[in-house]
Amino acid sequence: MSNTDAPLVGDSFKLGYRFQNFWDVPMATAFFFGELGAGTFLISMYFDFIAGMILGLISTGVGKPFFHLTHMGVPAKSWRAVLRPDRSWISRGLISIMVFVPFGMLVVLDQAFGWSGGAFLGKLVMFVTVAAALVVMTYQGFAMSHSSSISLWNTGLMPVSSMAYALLSGSAVTLLLASVLGGLADADLVMLQKIFLGLLVVTLAILLSLLHAAYHGTRGGQQSVTLLIKESFSLPFHGLVFGAGIVLPLIALWFGGTTLVAVVVAAIGVLIGFFSYRVLIFKAGVYEPQISFAARLGLR
Amino acid sequence: MARMGMVFDLKRCIGCNACVIGCKQENSLPDGVFFTKTLSEDYGVYPSVKRVYIPTLCNHCEDAPCEKVCPSGATYTRDDGIVMVDGEKCIGCGSCAVACPYDQRSQVSKEMLDRGLFGEGQLTDFEKQGYDRFTPGTVIKCDFCSNRVDAGLDPACVVTCPTNARIFGDFDDPDSKPNRVMRERGGGQAPLAEKNTKPKVYYIS
Repeated sequence: MSNTDAPLVGDSFKLGYRFQNFWDVPMATAFFFGELGAGTFLISMYFDFIAGMILGLISTGVGKPFFHLTHMGVPAKSWRAVLRPDRSWISRGLISIMVFVPFGMLVVLDQAFGWSGGAFLGKLVMFVTVAAALVVMTYQGFAMSHSSSISLWNTGLMPVSSMAYALLSGSAVTLLLASVLGGLADADLVMLQKIFLGLLVVTLAILLSLLHAAYHGTRGGQQSVTLLIKESFSLPFHGLVFGAGIVLPLIALWFGGTTLVAVVVAAIGVLIGFFSYRVLIFKAGVYEPQISFAARLGLR
Repeated sequence: MARMGMVFDLKRCIGCNACVIGCKQENSLPDGVFFTKTLSEDYGVYPSVKRVYIPTLCNHCEDAPCEKVCPSGATYTRDDGIVMVDGEKCIGCGSCAVACPYDQRSQVSKEMLDRGLFGEGQLTDFEKQGYDRFTPGTVIKCDFCSNRVDAGLDPACVVTCPTNARIFGDFDDPDSKPNRVMRERGGGQAPLAEKNTKPKVYYIS
């Protein structure tokens, strides 16, 4: 028998790769709702589409905290998470949410009732909201990319992918809502469909870059990517993240245009793909083996 | 200012896991939680196959990533370099656990404490006195038995080791046991040095 590579060892007392199991589905769901909400808000705001802006605020302001509290070991002390913005992206993100939601409400009220009358204060509120939304969209990626322990996450592409998925899912939800509820001009719908298509291509490129960088970075990254594209998680990763989340929406929008059926298929596909991506990226995260005696002796 | 750390002599470790039991006993660790593990690595090609034992614990990094990412300020470094978790401040978000390159943190749950070591829901007197120190939902880890260190003693795993494979002391003191051993043996290797966390745990072989 030749032992040429460290295996996945689970909780056993053997040297090898170990899955991280601290961040799982509840945390992935919280990340999903946060990014989806901020992306939907920004895309809807660009098109002055109030229903989408409200849904975005609900997603980030209600869905995300709910699943974060589900994940927390000590939910009653969760307020303490704001205490270290000087060093922790979790703190920065939480503060951004606390800014984004109330300021976003003010922007919605301004769009609906024009309370600012186009004055400086209204523009300032909008600027703060957009800045906070950008942080909400990306901080989860920054938090993950700062985990040097897990090579799959430890890349500058992680916040970029967060932003791409936030805008992609945001455009999907906005297009879906506008197609069902109305409220957008036909020209806006066509433009939104083009943005949607463009974001699909951009997200695909970022996904492939992320996998390529992780695979060619460290052995831990290689292990994670192998799990995603060849082994345990390959079926949901290919089927849901790529198939339902990228290919299906591309086909639906390319051939179906802005017809309701095409938009429904594309939007649902993107949401399934995005959620699956969030869950699988957590599940495929592995710690590298601490130290290899055999490697030091040149035996591996 | 002290800089407490540990050296593992891989030539001496026989993989008996006495350190693991000593640690669990000293810290009253619940089922499934280990502050130290003795990992084994097999290598070679049959019939020339060998096994080496690699003790592991929190490396009490000087540039601790767990401390940097902690959003609540629960993880902090003492003046003597021991990285601690304040259970009263920890919110159980797990950020430190995913940031630790060495997978040396555990989350203690209420179910874990209720179930007990024997899985029957009835705690022994030993468990009852020990579990009081844990706050369910928080993250816990090795603190080099800081209560023992404060009393001038070595950590439980060190005194339990029958082969003296674990050497504990102050790296800032040139005459400390770990510094002397490292000098005699030509230096040591830090685990995952490429992560730049500056661990205060070294391996010599």
